[in-house]
Amino acid sequence: MTATTKIKGVMAAAGFAASLMVGGATISYADEVTLTMAVPDWPPTRIMKKFFDEQYKPKSGNTVKLDVDFIPWPDFYTRVNASLTSGEQKYNFIVSDSQWLGAFVEGGYFRKINDLLDADPEFKKTFMEIHPNPLNAYATYPHKSENYYGFPQFPDVLVNFARKDIICHEEEQKNFQAKYNKKLPCTGEELDAMTWDDFRNVGEFFRRKKGEMLAGKPAEDDFYGIAFQAGKAYDFSSMQINGFIWQMGGNIWDETQAPSGQAEGVVNSPEAVKALETYLSLIEYMPPVAKTGTMDIFKEDELFREGKVAMAVNWIGLGEASLDPKTSKVSDKLVFGMMPGTKGPDGKMVRWSNIGGQPFVLTTWTTDAQIKEAVEFVKWWLSSDIQHQFAAAGGQSAVKSVYSDPKYVTYRPWNRAWAPSLDWQKDVWHVPQFFELLTQQQDQFDLAITGKQDAKTTLDNIAKFQQNLLTEVGLIQ
Amino acid sequence: MSVTPVTSVPRTARTSPALLEVSADNWRLAILVGVVVSALGVAALPASVSFWIVGAMAAMVAAAFVVNAYRRRYYGGLLVTPAIAVLFVMNIFPLLWSLGLSFFAYQSNQQSIRFVGLYNYIKVLTNDIAAPDNWNALINTAMFVVLTVSTQMIVGFLLAMLFAKQFPLRKYLLILVLTPMMLSVVASGVFFTYYYDPTFGILSYVMNSITDGQFILMDSKAGAVAGIVFADAWMWSPFVMLLVLAGLVSVPKYLYEAAAIDRVSAWRRFWSITFPYIRGLLMLALLFRTIEAFKLADLVILLTKGGNDTMTISYHLIRIANEQNKTSEGAAISYVMLFMVIVLTNLYLYLAKRRNREA
Repeated sequence: MTATTKIKGVMAAAGFAASLMVGGATISYADEVTLTMAVPDWPPTRIMKKFFDEQYKPKSGNTVKLDVDFIPWPDFYTRVNASLTSGEQKYNFIVSDSQWLGAFVEGGYFRKINDLLDADPEFKKTFMEIHPNPLNAYATYPHKSENYYGFPQFPDVLVNFARKDIICHEEEQKNFQAKYNKKLPCTGEELDAMTWDDFRNVGEFFRRKKGEMLAGKPAEDDFYGIAFQAGKAYDFSSMQINGFIWQMGGNIWDETQAPSGQAEGVVNSPEAVKALETYLSLIEYMPPVAKTGTMDIFKEDELFREGKVAMAVNWIGLGEASLDPKTSKVSDKLVFGMMPGTKGPDGKMVRWSNIGGQPFVLTTWTTDAQIKEAVEFVKWWLSSDIQHQFAAAGGQSAVKSVYSDPKYVTYRPWNRAWAPSLDWQKDVWHVPQFFELLTQQQDQFDLAITGKQDAKTTLDNIAKFQQNLLTEVGLIQ
Repeated sequence: MSVTPVTSVPRTARTSPALLEVSADNWRLAILVGVVVSALGVAALPASVSFWIVGAMAAMVAAAFVVNAYRRRYYGGLLVTPAIAVLFVMNIFPLLWSLGLSFFAYQSNQQSIRFVGLYNYIKVLTNDIAAPDNWNALINTAMFVVLTVSTQMIVGFLLAMLFAKQFPLRKYLLILVLTPMMLSVVASGVFFTYYYDPTFGILSYVMNSITDGQFILMDSKAGAVAGIVFADAWMWSPFVMLLVLAGLVSVPKYLYEAAAIDRVSAWRRFWSITFPYIRGLLMLALLFRTIEAFKLADLVILLTKGGNDTMTISYHLIRIANEQNKTSEGAAISYVMLFMVIVLTNLYLYLAKRRNREA
């Protein structure tokens, strides 16, 4: 081997080593970061994943993978709860119901995000642009404090889904006017103006047996005027009953008043009892499954899409399937309005309702590299462009600049009810005892819905249980 | 030529080591060290460390037993060791662990733990807020045990009597009848949810056509219980049938032939020939189904979510322990349930033995 050949060989080896080093440096710079997320399996989370896969480009240059575990809604809490409490530390991100914050913050699973917001003023500005009601519900613990834990993934409210082919039918309009001396609501604005008394009238008016005339044709099956959630599982009656109670001047146990706020005397106040009686009185106008205590939001949605009901109060999150002709027999016949309200003593409409939707939260074991990418992902998710796209695809945005845009109401027919509804949202307890409070309350409401006890007994039992439990844990003194 | 008889040379039996002799097969010393070190570890160290110390001591004692068995040629014991180890890890250890937990105040979503003695047992049995739900769930469970097991025994027995005979298409019908038992409970539950649905379900459709009213099976406790019992019987009667059928086909034919010659009545033939062959299997079916019925939760969750006052103790336990994260309280309820099942099983075994002796 000549000296020249040796030198060439050494240079080639050096060049190869250098290229390996440079290449190696590039590889180590472009890390692969995986964010593992637990989400309920429904359109808002499917859309998010689709957007991420199609559009997300991390600013860091890293390869960011969003590994999403889609969990069916009925098992969602159980699966997430089991994952967190078992200590497997599987998820970095969790789409959490707002009420879980207390239990999982106190358990040491959900990470406080104040430092992340403080470190990024631009991000904080976007975050603080979220409507205060969803912001308080989804992010704060203790409730309405300045300790932040969550970012809105999909904000949601209850709205009124209605069949315009039925309610706008000329003959039905005429007969309703003759019977109640009131116009049968037909447009979105008229639905907005409905009270629960009007809702009851619609329920009574449209109860038709198979073969009876309905909107100019014999009904193909038994038909019902109204539907709302009245199920025993999870929170499928509390979310509706709370709205009745707040609208009619009652209250639930107020966690922001702890420890002086009481349960007994508040939860079972005369106003709350009257509100529950009003709720129960409407069940007879609903499809018969409501009397079995299994009218959850999915059954209600199914009945509406199958064309069995004229009006249904349900979450916007389930609305997309109603508009899809592949999954809905009424897709081209719909009109939407705000959830019915109650006229206050001053004659103004009171519209309090229980907020739906979910934030996503970071878990405490998420590494710095993951947190950095997670924050970038959330900033991208809350950016105006993506929020507009999300709303256009059937999602919702709680970011003021987005939902105030005139284009917003054109995305989906229910969006006209979105912004006005946001001002009337409250949330149920965020305390660690949430699930205990909820299951006992759901059990009691079920007894009332299935006709086994009256409203007064129901609320007395709930108040006694809450007073006892919350006193035991020091939230009531 | 004389043949010297071959005699076996006796093995010298290995003597057990003295208590304090350090030897790999000294299991007595291993137990002593294990207990002392575990007690000190539990008393002085945090739970996260002492847990592993206790585990290591248990492994050390197990190893001493194995070495001891090997050196003294207890091969039978060695052969069953893997099975016992699996049983211990998968069954006995969790049982002991949950028994221990029932004496503490511990919630799986919180980091603190505190010894409370019998407080959880007193609470689940007597507290005026918690106890009524537990007792109500227990009463409902007893009701489901009686109704589901008796329905399954009767239907399963009648099906077995039917399929013990030969008739056209028997083989295919038998497969059809056995199908529900092979389905998952979730699939069956969803099927029955739609079957009973008052708007979409076929049951209400048929009943409404007959009565011209609105039939809603699940709107009362009686209806909801009937719905659950029917679904459970639909799934598990074939299991009883299989066991009884196995007994029926084992009856020797010549006994029936002899009975026919003697012109014995059908009832007498059943009572004196058939029944003794199936009695043991019927009792086995009764035992299995009673234990399973005591754990009924899946169908209740799918059909009523415990609504209409159909909450069973197992579903109640799932809610307490898994949903509300009250681990210790859940453990206490589990042990109350376990105690009841043990009492019932022993009562059953006692009665079965007494009947056998009388027979």
